[in-house]
Amino acid sequence: MTSYFIRRFLLIVPTFIGVTILVFAVTRLVPGGPIERMLQEAAMAGADVAASTSGFAGHGASSLSDDQIDQLKAYYGFDKPVIVGYAEWLGKVVRLDLGTSTRYSEPVWDTIKDRFPISIFYGVTTLILTYSVCIPLGIVKAIRHKTTFDNLTSAVVFFGYAIPGYVVAIALLTVFAGNLGWFPLSGFVSDDFDDLGTLGKIGDVAYHAVLPLIAYLAGSFAVTTMLMKNSLMDNLAAEYVRTAIAKGMAFRRAVFAHAFRNSLVPIATSFGNNITLIVTGSFLIEQIFNIDGFGLLGWESLVERDYPVVMGILVISSLLFMIGNILSDICVALVDPRVKFGSGEASQ
Amino acid sequence: MPLLAVEDLSTAFDTEGGRVTVVDQVSFEIDAGETLGLVGESGCGKSVTALSIMGLLPKPAGRTVGGSISFRGEDLGAVPVERLQQVRGNRIAMIFQEPMTALNPVQRVGRQLAEAYTLHAPGASADEAKGRALELLDQVGIPAAERRLTEYPHQLSGGMRQRVMIAMALASRPDLLIADEPTTALDVTIQAQILELLRDLQRETGMAILFITHDLGVIAELCSRVVVMYAGRIAEQASATALFANPRHPYTQGLLRSIPRLEGEPKTVLSTIPGTVPDIGDLPTGCRFANRCPHVEDVCRQRAPVLEEAAEAHRVACHRWRAVEAA
Ligand SMILES: Nc1ncnc2c1ncn2[C@@H]1O[C@H](COP(=O)(O)OP(=O)(O)OP(=O)(O)O)[C@@H](O)[C@H]1O
Ligand SMILES: [Mg+2]
Repeated sequence: MTSYFIRRFLLIVPTFIGVTILVFAVTRLVPGGPIERMLQEAAMAGADVAASTSGFAGHGASSLSDDQIDQLKAYYGFDKPVIVGYAEWLGKVVRLDLGTSTRYSEPVWDTIKDRFPISIFYGVTTLILTYSVCIPLGIVKAIRHKTTFDNLTSAVVFFGYAIPGYVVAIALLTVFAGNLGWFPLSGFVSDDFDDLGTLGKIGDVAYHAVLPLIAYLAGSFAVTTMLMKNSLMDNLAAEYVRTAIAKGMAFRRAVFAHAFRNSLVPIATSFGNNITLIVTGSFLIEQIFNIDGFGLLGWESLVERDYPVVMGILVISSLLFMIGNILSDICVALVDPRVKFGSGEASQ
Repeated sequence: MPLLAVEDLSTAFDTEGGRVTVVDQVSFEIDAGETLGLVGESGCGKSVTALSIMGLLPKPAGRTVGGSISFRGEDLGAVPVERLQQVRGNRIAMIFQEPMTALNPVQRVGRQLAEAYTLHAPGASADEAKGRALELLDQVGIPAAERRLTEYPHQLSGGMRQRVMIAMALASRPDLLIADEPTTALDVTIQAQILELLRDLQRETGMAILFITHDLGVIAELCSRVVVMYAGRIAEQASATALFANPRHPYTQGLLRSIPRLEGEPKTVLSTIPGTVPDIGDLPTGCRFANRCPHVEDVCRQRAPVLEEAAEAHRVACHRWRAVEAA
């Protein structure tokens, strides 16, 4: 188990190098030449893009100053051969020097770092709520397959799944924040957050989080619930469950003593995907509720052509993806002993 | 009183094409300590018969639609499920065809073994359960038992797994072991070892065995009495010696002719039974073997034969058994 763990983590290094080569290649090898060209094109196309996205951040069309372009060139090492440029850049990335945001004129890492707590809060909360609701719900649905309860919850869950998260978000916002005024219209915390006591702060965050969380969860509920249900149903029909009942065990008990852990294997596999939600978030939902998370930052940086931030997000999120995958593999290994043994089982 | 009496058992499945009765009025008895063989070709209803006895039919499609199963005089079809749970694994144990899938892949062997014991000895401590598990592994001839307890099923060979299944079945010293083709999935040398083991265990423990197989050779080695099934019904029932010496049903005769024999003429063509089993959803009204029977007559196609006592403890379901015998 431990050696498996270590092997998987060591694999991050070559994978990360591969990812950074790709990201670096984007700055260098894009058809038509280096970043300069990209920036010029962006500046020219800027006017239409800005028009189509008007109503948000506003000052989108501005092209980059010569100063900023020089800064970019220096950061990516355009004055040096590719290999040297890459090596130096990688060295900076490893030290978390991701360049300077052209929009905020501050280090990219600082910009990204500021968004982490918010994204992690929403990501982790979504994750916890998803699993703590979907797993029990899936179990009950599997045991009561084709009963009224099963059919009814399926209808609800699929209804949420069928409607895109941002539509749910807008609907919630209109009804519960707009018309009824029960919840705040936007933001992560209130303006007077700093003056609140600890309890008040927790309450304030929760108060702001209710609607966005519902919007996040609406889509993810269906997948995990049905995955749990189907996986458990498969296992309930498995021969080892019949063996357990043949031993004299009650069916209900066999569900938990035998089938449950087996049915967690696919759930554990999908854990990696879900955990990366933490970083990617959903820019539309963040946009609608005006939450300054990762998704919104990525979106705004793209629109504003803040390339250092875009690249930085790319590097960091690919790193987080890799860690998510490993966590997911570890979860699978924890649930399924067959994964730990034998050699070379690293799941790629 | 026999240990187990199955009387007119009929079991049906609800399928999309309607209800199909796959086991039809099957009756047999098993006495304490004896080995009864249940033989017949694939799909004839052997497993369904066994699962009916255990109350393990796949729900909700399968159900017993007629007859009774009484164990030590207690009608298992009429008792509440809690009572069934006390009988299963405790008085009647069962082992299955596929040792690969019959064990829980994510649980250690020791735990699964101990569970078989503690389910029927609720007061037992963890140490007692472990002790019993070790004892059981030893009993079924698994070396290095202490280490095996901590292993997972995938770390064992097929033969080992079947031994573990047998050990689990023995945990509460059952009166009856139902073995549903326990050697079919194993290779020949392992098959022989498992049969040997079952025979030894029976001698030691005095339990009765209902041994299900499609292999008459295995029956000859293990069983004192035999029930031959064909397409959901009993074709013939006799002591093993009588059945091999004097098979009366044309189906049994065909089965016996299709076994290769050492003493026979080498390189002769093995005879097979011509034709195929009728579809279980579309059975003829008369004898189910009629379309393949060399002795068939009009009466066979019109009326289904009932079991008749052809000789002492030798019953056969054939209209023409007298003529068949004379031939
Ligand atoms: N779950 C089920 N639903 C519908 N029909 C079934 C089901 N299980 C078994 N059957 C049918 O019941 C009949 C008897 O099946 P059974 O498993 O008892 O055969 P068997 O004699 O054990 O054969 P084998 O030697 O292949 O194990 C078959 O025709 C089969 O198609
Ligand atoms: Mg079978």
